[in-house]
Amino acid sequence: MSVRDAMRRLIPPGSYVLFLFFLTGIWVAISPFVMTTQPSGQHWMASTVNNVVIGTILIVVSLFGILGYLVFALRDLLAEAQARQEIAEHTSPSGE
Amino acid sequence: MRIMHFTLSKYICGMVASLIIFLAGGWLVLAPFALGYQPYGASWDSQTTNDFATGIPVAVLALVSFAFFFVSLLGALRAAGILVARQRPQAQAPVVTQVPSVPATQQSDLDRTLSTLAAALAADLTARRQAGSNQLNQVSDQPTDQAVNSRRDA
Repeated sequence: MSVRDAMRRLIPPGSYVLFLFFLTGIWVAISPFVMTTQPSGQHWMASTVNNVVIGTILIVVSLFGILGYLVFALRDLLAEAQARQEIAEHTSPSGE
Repeated sequence: MRIMHFTLSKYICGMVASLIIFLAGGWLVLAPFALGYQPYGASWDSQTTNDFATGIPVAVLALVSFAFFFVSLLGALRAAGILVARQRPQAQAPVVTQVPSVPATQQSDLDRTLSTLAAALAADLTARRQAGSNQLNQVSDQPTDQAVNSRRDA
C-alpha cells in the first residue's frame, strides 16, 4: 500500500469538512471580541457566552471526529498489516 | 489475496460528530431569538447577523459531512460483502430459444430414414455422372470422323 492510499484511508473527505468546522468553531468563539460586540472589562453578555460555548463545542466535536476516525482507521491498517504478515509466514516454505 | 479489516466505529464517530455539529449550527441560528439578545422587530445587530451567517453554512455542511461518512460506511459494508450492490435491470430480457423436443426413438428413426435417402441420392448421382461421361466420349469421337471424311473428300 502506498503512502497516498494510506492517507486516503486515514483522512476521508468527511474529515476535511470536519476540519472546516474546527476553523469555524475558532471563529465563532472569538467573534464577539473581534467584532467588539463584547465591551472589554465587563461581564460577558448572553451572546458572548453563547458564542464561546458553541465555538468550543464545534472545536471539540470536530477534533473528536477527525482524531476518532484517524485512530480507528490506523488500528484497521495495523490489523491488516499484521494479518498479511501472518499469512506470508504461513505460506512461505521456510516460515516456521 | 486482499485482506480487509474494518470497524464501524470510525464511521459512527464521524457521523455522530456531524450530527452534533448540525445541532450546534441550528442552535446558532436560533440562539439570538431564543436567548432574547435580538429584540423582536428591531433590525439585526452584527452579532445576530454573524450567528445567522455562520449557523446556516455549519448546519448545511454538517449534513454534507454526515453524507460523506455514511457513503464511506456503505462502501465499506459493500466491500466486506455484507451489503450486496443492487444489479441494474437489463434492457432486454434474455431470449429463450425453444429447442423442439423430439423423443429419442423418433430421432433415431429420422436419422435412419435420412441416411437411407442420402445413400440413394449418392447412388443416383454416381449413375448419372457415369452416363454423362459416356455421352461425352461419344460426342468427342464424332468430330474426328467428320475430319477424316472431309480429308477424304479433298
